Amino acid sequence: MSTISVLGLVLFALMTLIGGKTGATAFLSLIFNFGLLFLAVVLISWGFPAMGVSLVIGTIILAFTIFFGEENELAAKTAYIAALIVMVGLILVIFPVEHWIMAQGFSLEDSEDLEGMSLTIGVSFVGVAVTEAILSTLGAIAEASIAIAAGLSEIIAQHPKVMTKRLYLDGISIGKQIIGTTFNTLFFGFFGGFLALFIWFSGLHYSFGSVINNKIFVAEVLMVLFALIGVILTVPVTTWVMTLTHRQSMKHPD
Amino acid sequence: MLQQRMKRSWGLWLTIVVVIVGLIGVGLTRKNAAWYQQTVAQVTKVQAIQHTATTDEFQNKDVDASQWVTIKVLNHQHQGRTYRIKNSYTKSGAMDQAYRVGDQVFVRIPKSASRAVTIQGLKRDTALAFVAWLALALLLLIMRFSGLMALLSVTLNAVLFYGAIQIDLMTNGGHLYTLFGGLAIIFAVLTLWLVLGFSRQMLVTLGATVAGTGLAVIISLIVFAVTKERGVTYEAMQYVTQVPRPLFLVETVLGSLGAVMDESTDIVASLFQLREERPDVTANQIFKSGLTIGRSIMGPLINVLFLIFMADTFAMTLLYLRNGNNWGYTFSMNMSLGMVQSLISGIGIVLAIPVASWLASRLMPRKAAQA
Repeated sequence: MSTISVLGLVLFALMTLIGGKTGATAFLSLIFNFGLLFLAVVLISWGFPAMGVSLVIGTIILAFTIFFGEENELAAKTAYIAALIVMVGLILVIFPVEHWIMAQGFSLEDSEDLEGMSLTIGVSFVGVAVTEAILSTLGAIAEASIAIAAGLSEIIAQHPKVMTKRLYLDGISIGKQIIGTTFNTLFFGFFGGFLALFIWFSGLHYSFGSVINNKIFVAEVLMVLFALIGVILTVPVTTWVMTLTHRQSMKHPD
Repeated sequence: MLQQRMKRSWGLWLTIVVVIVGLIGVGLTRKNAAWYQQTVAQVTKVQAIQHTATTDEFQNKDVDASQWVTIKVLNHQHQGRTYRIKNSYTKSGAMDQAYRVGDQVFVRIPKSASRAVTIQGLKRDTALAFVAWLALALLLLIMRFSGLMALLSVTLNAVLFYGAIQIDLMTNGGHLYTLFGGLAIIFAVLTLWLVLGFSRQMLVTLGATVAGTGLAVIISLIVFAVTKERGVTYEAMQYVTQVPRPLFLVETVLGSLGAVMDESTDIVASLFQLREERPDVTANQIFKSGLTIGRSIMGPLINVLFLIFMADTFAMTLLYLRNGNNWGYTFSMNMSLGMVQSLISGIGIVLAIPVASWLASRLMPRKAAQA
């Protein structure tokens, strides 16, 4: 058996052992998300517009991640609506920035991997860069929105008559607790994976000026920054959606 | 009360000042050509020359285009001079691009006048600084002081990271495991110290982080040995200048470290909180609640890393597919390493749950129980 399938089995066994049914469904959402990511690439390679593909696939990935991981219905619904709003907001930032900064496709550092390949494939690589940026931020947005929605729904469950203003402050305070550790997840997640590239830059004595204008470096830093912006925006947006739902349920108690 | 309000308004003013100064800084990057060793120029005029439709051997339809780009040099000995350069690009723009009026570019001006001036690439610092400013401004406006601490921790880690790379180069990658293994522990100590301060809670979290990551590595190495690393295409690793296998393992550990820390912090903090609220809770109950908390965090967290690791491979995967490769080969050359990385990280994230819960249940202060 290949290493990937054995590692996958180990992960599945551990998740089921420790997480029970929740663990097993979480593993399932991972498999679905992989399928969706691969589908996104295939769809783009068939000529579907990158923007449309990222919107549709992004909406589905968020649904799988949020509804498969969170059992509380109120929290999951709120988190999903908030995550969708943040995703759309983030696209409005990512799209113009990627067209301005033009850090798409490949750079001279990729030359060796590109040998013998035809680069004129008729797919806009700026569009692909937009897709990459959007999809890479979704996990972080989903995680943050779940954490805040779950915390707030817990507060509502314990104090059903909590004031809207109080709820808002609570949301921001939960956000403050998670922001530091989430930053670290993103920082290590992105940069840990690019150790080889940084060794390349340092080893070949790239100047500071060439690094901060380098296509690959810029594309990578942009993804971290977009993910950060996404997480920061998730805090007030999730809280806002939760207060709206709460106010409505107070008006129509069922 | 008054003091608190003054402190708060002071914080607001400070934030506004930082945001405005930052925006001015972004603007200044348009005028910073003098700081660069490379020659910087600004595009003053572009004129399209021609478009030709092309079809490659895999029936991909694209457009080859060219344009006249007029640039004005902004720094060094040729400052103020203008040149007209022909720029060829493709519509898909895999390695090239069309230039627009107002773009700043790096150019190469050869000594002999007979050789052509060439554009080497776009100057991207202004756009990058703008996005960084946007993130910083939002962070400070919404999170205030907590945002600043998060930023400080990331900055310190970046400095350490840079230092470790310099040491790695000096030793020619000879002590990669020791160096980055040590670095991972320092990262964890520093970050957790900044988030939690030096306390028992911090030590428990640190223990869970190190043990969770360590166990994941041990399990993965066993799996590697048993399966003889079949399907792990180290040769497909990008930007490699040193032996790829150790580099890959180190990348994986560093990549998952933040997520494991994130999770351990959440679990241990909640358990300490629980103990405070209900001092009579037993060690066994603490362990069980730890598992319950971890259960809901692990799925989303594994997905965070998975999406980060996989999204990076998009452009190259697309290129493989459009160059007539089948799905299996495309996957193994581009996505399999990211997949292995995600799975190992996932194992670490899952294992940290029982470790953190167990450590917390055994190492909590027992004062309340004795009283």
